[in-house]
Amino acid sequence: MRRYERPVFSLLYRMVRDRALAEDLAQETFVKVLNGIKSYRPEFKFSSWIFKIANNAAIDHLRRKSIDTLSLDGAPSAETPEQVRATSLQLGDRAESPLDEVENRELGTAIERAIARLRPEYRSCILLRHVEGYSYEEIADTLDLPLGTVKTYIHRARNELRGYLEDRRE
Amino acid sequence: MTDISMHLTTDEIELWAQGLLPAARAMHLADCSLCRVEAERERKVILELVQLPKFAPSAGFGDRVMAQVKIATPSGDWTP
Repeated sequence: MRRYERPVFSLLYRMVRDRALAEDLAQETFVKVLNGIKSYRPEFKFSSWIFKIANNAAIDHLRRKSIDTLSLDGAPSAETPEQVRATSLQLGDRAESPLDEVENRELGTAIERAIARLRPEYRSCILLRHVEGYSYEEIADTLDLPLGTVKTYIHRARNELRGYLEDRRE
Repeated sequence: MTDISMHLTTDEIELWAQGLLPAARAMHLADCSLCRVEAERERKVILELVQLPKFAPSAGFGDRVMAQVKIATPSGDWTP
């Protein structure tokens, strides 16, 4: 299990951008994996099975909390300036705790902030592809998505990331 | 056989950014500034992604997980 701790925790942390919550979700993931080990199908890559459970936990959480994206610039569905303001993360509204400080340091770089602005579906695909080095086929298996959808998500995610990063540089 | 003058596809650009595009296709970049600019932009973002650090959960994480795992006893019961 130790081997998967960092990759799984990192994926979850980047999905929910909250250390304590990511740890709860990682714990939930590993407990499910270890208690459900008998339901593991060996034709499936073991790490893919773990990532599938972890990703489902993150997506379920984001849906439950109706924060389908922790965008700094408001939800993607926001169409008017008022909606954008209402759904934006309000930084500096409260005193920064030591944990916030750690999170800001860890996830405060331009690329991390750009990733946070992606839709959750794009985020998991791009992280599995370029951080975990999964092939498109493995991502499709892991996330139960058609191969074409995975390719589209990854290409769109990279385009959006490029846009965010280039805007910052200009 | 692919014509060298054909623009690179998105998949080919990704392969190039990872150093995996066959030389015959990569040669197209020498003549096509459009593809070269596009490929360079793609390479930058992929490089940033592959260099992202892995984070570790806090100390004692493994113990907290194991405390919730049911272990089968010889009698067939489950014990936490």
